[in-house]
Amino acid sequence: MAKIVKCQTLAGQAIEYVDEIIGSGAMKDVYFSPDKSYVVALYKARPDSQARERLKSITTTYWDRLFNEPGGDYWKNLFCWPEGIIERNGLIGIVAPAYPKHFFFEHGSRNNDILAIKGKEKEGKWFAAANLRNRFMDRRELGDWLNHLRMCVLLARAVKKMHMMGLAHSDLSYKNVLVDPTQGHACVIDIDGLVVPGKYPPDVVGTPDFIAPEVVMTSHLSRDDRGRKLPRRETDQHALAALIYMYLLYRHPLRGGKVHDVDDEQRDEALGMGEKALFIEHPSDMSNRIRVEDARPTELPWADTSQIPYTITGPYLSPLFLQAFVGGLHDPGLRPSANDWETALVKTVDLVQPCQNSACPQKWYVFDNSIKPRCPFCGTLHKGKLPVLNLYSSRKEGNFRPDNHRLMVWTGQSLFLWHVNSRIAPNEKLTSDQKKRVGYFVFHHDAWWLVNERLPDLIDVSTKTPIPIGGRMELTDGLQFLLAKGDGGRLVVVQMVEG
Amino acid sequence: MSIRRLPVYILLDTSGSMRGEPIHSVNVGLQAMLSALRQDPYALESVHFSIITFDVQARVYLPLTPLDQVRFADIDVPQGGATFMGAALKLLIECVDRDVRKSTVNTKGDWRPLVFLMTDGSPSDLYAFREAIPELKNRNFASILACAAGPKARQQHLLELTDRVVTMDTMDAAAFSGFFKWVSASVAVGSTSAGVSGALSPPPPPEVQLVL
Repeated sequence: MAKIVKCQTLAGQAIEYVDEIIGSGAMKDVYFSPDKSYVVALYKARPDSQARERLKSITTTYWDRLFNEPGGDYWKNLFCWPEGIIERNGLIGIVAPAYPKHFFFEHGSRNNDILAIKGKEKEGKWFAAANLRNRFMDRRELGDWLNHLRMCVLLARAVKKMHMMGLAHSDLSYKNVLVDPTQGHACVIDIDGLVVPGKYPPDVVGTPDFIAPEVVMTSHLSRDDRGRKLPRRETDQHALAALIYMYLLYRHPLRGGKVHDVDDEQRDEALGMGEKALFIEHPSDMSNRIRVEDARPTELPWADTSQIPYTITGPYLSPLFLQAFVGGLHDPGLRPSANDWETALVKTVDLVQPCQNSACPQKWYVFDNSIKPRCPFCGTLHKGKLPVLNLYSSRKEGNFRPDNHRLMVWTGQSLFLWHVNSRIAPNEKLTSDQKKRVGYFVFHHDAWWLVNERLPDLIDVSTKTPIPIGGRMELTDGLQFLLAKGDGGRLVVVQMVEG
Repeated sequence: MSIRRLPVYILLDTSGSMRGEPIHSVNVGLQAMLSALRQDPYALESVHFSIITFDVQARVYLPLTPLDQVRFADIDVPQGGATFMGAALKLLIECVDRDVRKSTVNTKGDWRPLVFLMTDGSPSDLYAFREAIPELKNRNFASILACAAGPKARQQHLLELTDRVVTMDTMDAAAFSGFFKWVSASVAVGSTSAGVSGALSPPPPPEVQLVL
């Protein structure tokens, strides 16, 4: 048995850890507490005074600002935030929560876990590359497309929060974000390198695949050169866009077929990720399209951008991808913010419908706004009635304007307060009461019904018939109903698609 | 998709002095390294391995193979004999010229290959060894790393080949395992965070001393 080391954080909290390394990175060796509820990570080299100052701010000032506010506990699921600093035998270490169980592989890889990754951390790369998903991952680890959307919502929300606090992560990558596609969880880790603009500069330029073009282009300059671009909020925004693209489409947005330097592959790489970076789905410049004939069979259909274009992510995310990888690729100021991504992702969740092919590996897809909806992943056409609810909200009494927000109806789909009132957003600020369902949809005797559970104002506007709590209303084409009175109260107009 | 291959060549001394514990440790270390790399999704997407052994002759023990498909039986060592390291370098040049894909206007070529050479002695074919070195330097390797294992290994010849030479005082399992861990970390380094002042290269394990 390894011995148990007892020590104290600088703030005086008693800490224990088992003196046996459970993991080791470039910078730190990691140890478990005896009950495995937290870890101690000791730096191999003593951080300099600036880095120690930064750790102090992260574990005190920023820790307080994040967790010591109403609803602060919400963030404990989204960040693995260092809680304290220890100093022992001249070494410096941080204390951080252990990762929850769902971030470790339960089944691992195929063929009885041939790669022996069961029990290892779910590094995002496993899920962000079509070949790894198709060839190696146990299907039970892959989750479905809706859970990938949920992972992206949480990731965007976590990055938004950091940016709102005036911080930049500086090294967002699939190594520094744990994901769980089986339940739709995401958690930002490795927070000890945070950048506080003007105060703590970055130690790293980032991880290949996620470094913003301007950082790649200027990486040959010295650190003090005025032209040198280092990680900051705008480079996080690039990394976030790349992560979301990869988690939804299983390919990299800039890794296409274009060759920039025939003789030197390193220069080719630097140009392709830097100065000459070009979106593989650029609307007019086709020169960096993935060459499907070069793709491995296990990369299809994802490598074929004509079969699975980015536009399958729907009307809210598609413009953001263009903004991130066309307009904002070389113009950092134009990149979508983490908040833009969060809002678009949340709305996209409402626009998702189940695929009727029970063998479809993705299981969910975004409604394509056509009269013959079709799953882009497996090609299955939707059969039967498909109600689409168009949401409008009141600005002033009796005047309703479209919200550019739709809710797809499927069996088991729920109605929540954030559908009922445009002033309520489904985010970390919701109270537990606000998270409760207020109604649901069900297909019964060849008709779609809305069942009212907690909507006191529900009224069929066309016939002026109130629907009491416990009552139900059939959804028909053109039906209009009001979900709530007053400011932000939503009006719904039903469209019936007959597949 | 445009995934570049990362070719990794491992050149292993299988001369008679490697018999017994040393070659067992090499076999164990190699398998452990492959298992560790297969747990790295980045390596699994790009790394290709080839093994060249050398004793009285040099042979391709494993042709360039994707990491997940690498299978080989334990390496054997003949009774006694010479250390034809020069022949191994010539064979390496042939393999690299044949295997490594160059970029064309339309297709992305491979990453520059990594070479790891491990010996417990010195080249018996010194003339061929010295003849191969300029040829080798004409090829574009990302890095050549040589390891002088045990008390009889001669660093000075290796230093003619590359400035990155490490030594191992002992030839036991721990030392070889440390060496292969380092190889594995060097292969996987492309996927990790890059420092502001140049790429981070993993420090050699404690069992290995860097000769500068």
